[in-house]
Amino acid sequence: MRATMIKVLAKRAVVITAFAALAFQAAAGQSSKPSAAGAADDAAKLNTSEVAKTLKVAAEALGLARWSGVGGQRLPEVDVINTMEIWGSGTTYGLSQASKPGEPGPAFKTEYHATLGYNPPAMRVELTRTSSGAPSQGGAAPQQTIEVVRDKYAWDESEIGGGLVPGKGTATPAMAAVDNRLLQLWILPYGVIKAALAAGDKTKVSTEKGTTVITFPLSEQLANVMVKATLDAQNEVAKVETRSENPALSDLNTETEYTDYADHGEIATDVKSPGHIVRKRSGHPVLDIRVKMLDANNPYLVFPVPENIKKVAAH
Amino acid sequence: MTPHFRFNRIIVTAALLCLLPAAIFAQNNGGPRMDHENTLPPTPTGPTPMAPDGHPDLTGLWNGLADNLLGVPNQMHNVGIEVGPDATRDIHSGVQIATWPLQNRTRQNNEQNERAATLLRRMGSNRPIYKPQYWQRVKDFDANSNEEDPSNNCMPAGVPRMGVPSYIAQTPKYLVFVYPGQGGLIATATSYRMIPTDGRKHTNLEDLDGTWNGESIGHWEGDTMVVDSIGFNSTSWFDQLGGYFHSENMHVIERLHRDGNTLTWTATVEDPDVLLEPWTTTPRIALLNPDSKAVLSESLPCSERDFAHVVTKEHH
Repeated sequence: MRATMIKVLAKRAVVITAFAALAFQAAAGQSSKPSAAGAADDAAKLNTSEVAKTLKVAAEALGLARWSGVGGQRLPEVDVINTMEIWGSGTTYGLSQASKPGEPGPAFKTEYHATLGYNPPAMRVELTRTSSGAPSQGGAAPQQTIEVVRDKYAWDESEIGGGLVPGKGTATPAMAAVDNRLLQLWILPYGVIKAALAAGDKTKVSTEKGTTVITFPLSEQLANVMVKATLDAQNEVAKVETRSENPALSDLNTETEYTDYADHGEIATDVKSPGHIVRKRSGHPVLDIRVKMLDANNPYLVFPVPENIKKVAAH
Repeated sequence: MTPHFRFNRIIVTAALLCLLPAAIFAQNNGGPRMDHENTLPPTPTGPTPMAPDGHPDLTGLWNGLADNLLGVPNQMHNVGIEVGPDATRDIHSGVQIATWPLQNRTRQNNEQNERAATLLRRMGSNRPIYKPQYWQRVKDFDANSNEEDPSNNCMPAGVPRMGVPSYIAQTPKYLVFVYPGQGGLIATATSYRMIPTDGRKHTNLEDLDGTWNGESIGHWEGDTMVVDSIGFNSTSWFDQLGGYFHSENMHVIERLHRDGNTLTWTATVEDPDVLLEPWTTTPRIALLNPDSKAVLSESLPCSERDFAHVVTKEHH
């Protein structure tokens, strides 16, 4: 009889403890909700709390906020994304003076290959473009460009890593392109979340036509650029618009749409990436790419700055 | 036996095999647990014992935070990611990394845990800079490390991949470093090194047969022990992760500095055949085992017990 009683009490204790734990977790989850409205401080807290929640769910939707139970079960969740590599194909458009806003320039069938890193901020975009209107029966020869940016340096390579080793390609300065190339890095979905987190109190969250919108300024070289990111129903970054306050930098006014999110890695990472990227710059279409594969496993990707580029930048 | 029952047994067996590496991680040969709450460097306490020759005495069991190669926290520390309770920093670049508190974590299954661990171990910015003609090779080695890793099949990790020794014995004329082997999927053989500190010079490189650990000679620079190694084979990789291959001309300089109950280790790799510039690891700081009576327990037998079950390129 006594043994049965002890068993019953033990079971009750387990149940009560479980409920208490759940209640504690629920309370902890709600602890960031404001208790009063009206005062400016409370409004600021409300927005801060809303921003934090929104960025967390957006980070999780991308697979950016992660922790591991394999030997790391007592560590907090962190932003795991540093380097990644993207392969895609589609169409890129040249900018034509004659084009009216909204009209595309000349179209090129394009193989797209980008390697990038956020720490340090760097990106290498390799485009192999073939004119869709081939002038001869044999068709136009594909044109390859390799555009690189790292921090405050931008250059073009004649081959991957050109200009780093004597006799192995060249690196040509392209310092005027730094802002534009860096912008491509920060308007990718991962860059948007990272930059919004880094912007701190300057990041705001609102609702427009039932969708969540995040707005924030970029920093450093791109400090005069405002970003407006729209989330879809799965909290994935669906649209990114950028506007520069400087009229001379209208090239930085862009609009990019991201759809068809999935884990596009050969090695599964649980990092989601858009399967379709469509971008306009100053109202003109510039890119329409289908992602074929994306390696998000922090692969070995490096962006050393060639000595001749450093020298040019120093002057 | 019904087909349904047999299928269930296969599922259960597969699940147990998936859990085996985690179970081995948890065991850690009976040593201190490795699932730390942070990857912050331990704060030195106590005096630094001195040897009769006036130099610091490095003797001790340096596994107070468990074997330095094991567990996600140690591996993140090794690549320079300093995780605190609510802030994370990349030591090499100084960049702050977004961090979310422990209590707000989302649940993950075993596969998600493994995939996250792969990303966490590789997120550091301190990477060796190879010549461009080798970039793709390094990337391919890392992507295919389940097949390409030279330490698979119970081979040695080699210098400097083996990292901080778990045990050091210091005598007036030599040092002995011991590195316990590991079982499971990350299976490496137990290794030791006997490092002369008697002032001798290196053998001519041409006269050395390349080996996993090379020829190591130690000397003091102030209170820091500098271990200089040459004469390697070109088989090993020089860091735990990343596919970082090297040539037979690799030259490694390790530095060990004791401060109370902590030991700071770095390794500089010079290999002008494949690297654009020398590369130095982010400092790894080991903690003296707090149990003064602790001994280095026997390593699990090295066997590739899980290797036959690897069917994808997912890393571990």
